[in-house]
Amino acid sequence: MTAVTCELCPRACVIPEGAAGDCRVRVNLGGKLRATTYGRPSAVHIDPMEKKPLYHFHPGSRIFSLGTAGCNLHCLNCQNWQLSQRGGDEVEQTYRAEPAEVVAAAKGEGCRSIAYTYSDPVVFYEYVEDTATLARAAGLTNVFVTAAYINREPLRRICRVLDAAHGDLKGFDDGFYRRVSGATLKPVLDALVTFREEGVWLEVINLVIPTLNDDLAMIRRMARWMVAELGADTPLHFSRFSPQYRMRNLPPTPVETLVRARAEALDAGLRYVYIGNVRGDTGSSTVCPRDGTLLIGRSGFTITANHLTADGRCPTCNDKIPGVWQ
Amino acid sequence: MSDGREPQAGAVVARRRFLGLLGALLGGLGVTLGTTSGATRQPEADVPRERPLKEADFYRPHDLAG
Repeated sequence: MTAVTCELCPRACVIPEGAAGDCRVRVNLGGKLRATTYGRPSAVHIDPMEKKPLYHFHPGSRIFSLGTAGCNLHCLNCQNWQLSQRGGDEVEQTYRAEPAEVVAAAKGEGCRSIAYTYSDPVVFYEYVEDTATLARAAGLTNVFVTAAYINREPLRRICRVLDAAHGDLKGFDDGFYRRVSGATLKPVLDALVTFREEGVWLEVINLVIPTLNDDLAMIRRMARWMVAELGADTPLHFSRFSPQYRMRNLPPTPVETLVRARAEALDAGLRYVYIGNVRGDTGSSTVCPRDGTLLIGRSGFTITANHLTADGRCPTCNDKIPGVWQ
Repeated sequence: MSDGREPQAGAVVARRRFLGLLGALLGGLGVTLGTTSGATRQPEADVPRERPLKEADFYRPHDLAG
């Protein structure tokens, strides 16, 4: 019996023959590591880019989005737990979708991009890599929506075929990561830096959970770290928590908390800070950091105004606004 | 004095016994049929339904995050 060690994520699961790793979907078959969900997504949708959310990457476009069963994190508040906390044979439905079929479907529906999302694409890494390679050759862009709990070497490799990443920074405290997600903070920070080093457009999301990670001092430390390590132009999205899965004992995040968090992050030096998962347009529009000109107005996932110039500049001061706009 | 309720109470008891027996018989039959039919249905329910991608409704509303 040959055990294999999965080197994809920091868990470093040692998997006996015939068994699966912590993610439930990476298995040891005859001494070889296989992902049981390769070519078998269980969720396939076309979403607005703003839903990922990515605000500085092809705004207003539609993105072909897919995810498989399994995840290497086990967040108590997971919104997609029926997908992420199950193995490939435990979900209600799967689709047969080889990489070429995914690319053809995305192009056929007029999408410019493919998102690997819903569960963490780290656990269907090979499927992402093969699909993204074909997608890029076909003129599509690739978006990785992830909790960024991945080792540096495989991340550098997948970055070669990624155009944008949406990284989840769940909190700026290792104890929080251990308690809520069964993971650790340091590898996530390293991964976010790697995305930036590899030239992948990066936006960061932070789900603000009442009493657990809503401390403004911690949010300030997180924002300062982002300024220093990722750059002040990296967009940060504060997202509203709603009771889910195994965390139904806490209330939804008060909007005032999100407003205060946003003010704290802006004060710490970040230039593009947004609020998400709330009704209306509170904190969801892009404004020029220099002169306050409204650049992109949003309400929910809808673009209500776009005043950026064709080459992505503020129409008032002509400053270049960071992002992938074309 | 005679108690007019005695015969009536006896009839109620008899009816309850009859209905109880009938219920037990029907219940047992239901359990048997359910178990038998479940033996053929169960594997289908356990195995995820796998469809070709072309059958997916990409625009179906959903509440998945991300």
